[in-house]
Amino acid sequence: MMFENLLVKNSVRDSLSRMAQYLNTTFMISTIENEYLINIEKGIVQNVEEGPFVMPSFVFKLTAPKNEWLMFLQHTPKPGSHDIIAMLRRNVLKFEGDLYPLMSHLLYFKLLLASLRPEGNKNEN
Amino acid sequence: MKIEKEPISGQYGKFKIDGLDYRIYWEEAGQGVPLLCLHTAGSDGRQYRALLNDKKILERFRVIVFDMPWHGKSSPPENAKIQNYKLSTDFYISQIMSFIDGLELIKPVVMGCSIGGRIILHLAINFPEKFRALIGLQSAGHLDPYYDISWLHRQDVHGGEVCGGIAYGLMAPTSPESHKFETMWHYMQGGPGIFKGDLFFYKFDGNIGNEIKKIDNSKCPIYLLTGEYDYSATPEETKSLANTIGIEMTKMKNVGHFPMSENPKEFLKYLHPVLNKIS
Repeated sequence: MMFENLLVKNSVRDSLSRMAQYLNTTFMISTIENEYLINIEKGIVQNVEEGPFVMPSFVFKLTAPKNEWLMFLQHTPKPGSHDIIAMLRRNVLKFEGDLYPLMSHLLYFKLLLASLRPEGNKNEN
Repeated sequence: MKIEKEPISGQYGKFKIDGLDYRIYWEEAGQGVPLLCLHTAGSDGRQYRALLNDKKILERFRVIVFDMPWHGKSSPPENAKIQNYKLSTDFYISQIMSFIDGLELIKPVVMGCSIGGRIILHLAINFPEKFRALIGLQSAGHLDPYYDISWLHRQDVHGGEVCGGIAYGLMAPTSPESHKFETMWHYMQGGPGIFKGDLFFYKFDGNIGNEIKKIDNSKCPIYLLTGEYDYSATPEETKSLANTIGIEMTKMKNVGHFPMSENPKEFLKYLHPVLNKIS
């Protein structure tokens, strides 16, 4: 998977950090096969660590099968794969844990994950 | 400096709705058959800005859009206090019928999106003879909750930010970013708890079961159009609704839950043929 690319700085992620300047959290993305711990400080991704983990510590977790994440990460995702709430609606993505950081910065997280799509994607704000 | 003026005029009026006075704002343009447009939950009439500027439509239709009470530039009722706002089916119907009555509209076409796409089904069940036609955008007979809507109104979460985040995802990745931003911005400007209160109608009070079978398309033609990227009212759900009524539905490519606002150019390609049939 390509979640480690969240560490790569670019103009999209720079502008996103301004939407989350008070956000400090660690969350986990699970593809069932693999797990990724992602640390954010002041809206900037500071670390992405790939599992397996023995005792991972995180605030919330997003779990979806690998193929679902791959569909989400397409340049132009198909309907139902274009948004994490759309995936929730189809019961292919599960939100777990303390969802406060996620829901209070919902657009930030949506756009942060969408920033992993191939360049040229229009999901920028 | 020369400015580009739009053909839209806006007005305020006092309407009596269920015994209370409401100061309602509406916009209109064009002349001909009244076409009353209903905005989505938690937003306002600006969603129909493209229709109100479409020369082809304005030649034959008087396009009218009002902001629901508590939304946009319409006020809460007189002597309102902070309350647990919840939109009921009865109150939604009352405000639409009061508005039609107040403007003395004769057999208007009513087009609604999302909650508006739901309420036109209630209008079709209860007052089919009062309308020339009904157009449902993103219509479904019912919707079960699929996320915890309490997040939309918590004092420790910025309501505008979370409502905007929810609305953003309901749009198609293929819609123009400028229109998506404006659509999201309307949500970010909503009053505290209003989007959530509208969803009480959409996900609970306004759900329709077997009553859908009471809709008689011969009494009032119904047109259903749904964007392919909508996961709230999916094309499959609109198709199921259309099958029950015994009519066709149109699946709109490259748009999501807010076709008229997120991608007006694409939406108008689908709407023009429908309006041609009606007029």
